[in-house]
Amino acid sequence: MDVSVRELDASSVVSVLKSLYSLILVLVLWEVVTQLGYIHYYFLPPLSDVLARFVELTQSGEMLDNAYLTLKRAFLGLAIASVLGVIVGILSARNRVANWFFDPIIKIGYPVPIIALIPVFMLWFGIGDTSKIIMVAVGTFWPIAVNARDAARQVEQNLVWAARMMGTSDWKLLWRVIMPAAAPGIVTGLQIALPLSLIITFVFEMVAGGGGLGALEIQGVRSFQSTQTYAAIIAIMLVGLALDRSLRVVRGYLLRWT
Amino acid sequence: MSNVSVRSVDAVPAPLLRAGKFLFDWIPLVILTVLWEYASGTAVPAEILPPPTRVVGEIQELIVSGEVYSHLFTSLFRIGVGLGLSIAVGVLLGIGMARLDPVEDFFEVLLALTYPIPKTALVPLAILWLGVGTETAVLIVFLACLLPIVLNAYNAAENVDKNLVWAAKMMGTDGRQLFRKVVIPATIPEILTGVRQAIPIAFIALVSAELIASDEGIGYLILTAGQVGNYPTMFANIVIISAVAFFAVRGYELLRERVLVWT
Amino acid sequence: MTERTLDGHVSISDLEKVYDDGAERTTAIKDLSFDIEGGEFATIVGPSGCGKSTLLYLVAGFLDETSGSIEVDGDPIDGPGTDRGVVFQDYALFPWRTVMENVTYGLEEQGYNKEERRSRAQKYIDMMDLSGFENNYPKELSGGMKQRVGLARTLAYDPKILLMDEPFGALDQPLRESLQDQLIDIWGDLDKTVVFVTHDVEEAVYLSDSVMVMTRHPGTKKNVTKVDLDRSQTREEIITSNEFTETKNDVWKSLREETQPEVQP
Repeated sequence: MDVSVRELDASSVVSVLKSLYSLILVLVLWEVVTQLGYIHYYFLPPLSDVLARFVELTQSGEMLDNAYLTLKRAFLGLAIASVLGVIVGILSARNRVANWFFDPIIKIGYPVPIIALIPVFMLWFGIGDTSKIIMVAVGTFWPIAVNARDAARQVEQNLVWAARMMGTSDWKLLWRVIMPAAAPGIVTGLQIALPLSLIITFVFEMVAGGGGLGALEIQGVRSFQSTQTYAAIIAIMLVGLALDRSLRVVRGYLLRWT
Repeated sequence: MSNVSVRSVDAVPAPLLRAGKFLFDWIPLVILTVLWEYASGTAVPAEILPPPTRVVGEIQELIVSGEVYSHLFTSLFRIGVGLGLSIAVGVLLGIGMARLDPVEDFFEVLLALTYPIPKTALVPLAILWLGVGTETAVLIVFLACLLPIVLNAYNAAENVDKNLVWAAKMMGTDGRQLFRKVVIPATIPEILTGVRQAIPIAFIALVSAELIASDEGIGYLILTAGQVGNYPTMFANIVIISAVAFFAVRGYELLRERVLVWT
Repeated sequence: MTERTLDGHVSISDLEKVYDDGAERTTAIKDLSFDIEGGEFATIVGPSGCGKSTLLYLVAGFLDETSGSIEVDGDPIDGPGTDRGVVFQDYALFPWRTVMENVTYGLEEQGYNKEERRSRAQKYIDMMDLSGFENNYPKELSGGMKQRVGLARTLAYDPKILLMDEPFGALDQPLRESLQDQLIDIWGDLDKTVVFVTHDVEEAVYLSDSVMVMTRHPGTKKNVTKVDLDRSQTREEIITSNEFTETKNDVWKSLREETQPEVQP
């Protein structure tokens, strides 16, 4: 069906506006209300000031440095947890001894609000990068292991039999069949673990300092520069969006066969 | 890992078997606890890792002396209020978005933008507005639980079995009544599942807020105990809040089973 | 000194399979003895629940027998092996692998290098009319195509014995007939023993050298009917021949006795 270019433009513009109007409304209100002086500067600086501060921080390099620190900590921790979590999860699912050993550990660890352990990690490993990375690794280990285990448990028996009839040994089975078959579940675990890794990093930074976007944000409060706080939040939002999109793309590629 | 045919164990009665299995399952933890007890003071300084006996003793002391109760109550109060508000607002918003287009149009982009921000990252903002204390904690818990509940309610309302709606319409129900009599009861099971998932989120949000911005509560106790070097108390409080979190989820699941008698 | 010929001879003696979970005890197969000659095409038919798939899985080594023995060329089997290839009713393809990768799986296990694998696999892919679909994932294929991939995969690594578990059961009639004919062709060219499980008596008689009827639960061997058809004829000629009809009726009658409850006088 032929739709004229003109019509297409108008209707797509309208639909874009339709979905964005609330955002535009909020932003405009923000700027107007604050500029008119209805809200104290400290609580809510005007949007323009916040954006200016954001640009300032980006130009001075501070924004990128801190973002890099936060991401480095979250990613390294996540990487460690992924490797360990997948191994423990898959082993627990397919091997009775491994399951006997790890199951109670998993059961106990799961309900612990991992954030409560921040003071413990500060005690054991200090307040530097290593401490944060280890904490992220410990905190994100659980959802990854549990999801990997559940997915590995549900691998279709026929697939296992097919592999074995073609000569696959028990150990190779884990790598060649169980892991790919459990991939959807593992990726789900990663999707849960990613925001968790950021939460742990942010809170740790806010409590202990040491740079990072979380530290940047709370520093704004403590030094009465609320524009810095809001700018940091915008950065956090952008980072969150970027990571979320990236994970979706990775998921789409890894699971292209589903 | 090969298939072994099972032989029946006729001699041992079933309940005894179950009890034995239960104990057997927990042996790894027993072993770890014993190792912990032994390592503390020998391989690792006792200040850094107090032995389990010391921690348990501390817990007992805290419970008996009553020190912990007011803080525990504060923490639970904050979770209750925050979670309660998020359920009230979240369910309305979610269902509203699913059934009424204008509502969806308005909130969709705002929710999509705030989705990737971990709400605990907003603690400094909350401090900015509300200072240090209960309001901040409640706000953070509220914000952290809101989105999952909205999404859940939204999905539940979207997927209400069309046949149910048609059956009701056929029998004369319409408009607001349809909402009340069909949509809401049909969405309750899924919403209750969403709440169950929100509970651990609420605990994490609460502890985050209390570590950063509070002068009361279990999180505050953990932090301050750590700061003055009173590590047994610190560990004791961590155990307490973990146990509470565990039982909160269990208790909720039991409650849910009572409520959802029809599923 | 007896000369051992590895020709895919399957020997089942006094086989029994009991499922026991502590609360319930079910005997799936009882006192079953059955011999399949090397190179023979043997079919197993029986009423639902008689244990014919269980029997196949026992021969495949996926399940362990409770008592009795299963031997291939004189040696008892010990779990699954590359001498017995299975074609599953629900295909059991690896969804994360393309068609080519699925077919080369067995060859990878046997250590062939990449070019060898590709060329061997390609032969069977072409044989099964799947050329052009080498890089597709199973999710993109129809049921019939998936079954052909399953067949290609199992043929590719050359097991001596083919075990087929109602492979055409989920397909529609024209497709089923076409695959049956293809199977006969392949079996004619390759030197394999085939054990074929089905509930379709016509299919059984059309395809095989012998048809074993199993009793209803608990399953045991009821009888074996030898099939002697002139397979040089066309499908239509075979189906309409007297030998076919007679054999079919014999098997059908025997099977019917197992599905009808006994009438009390």
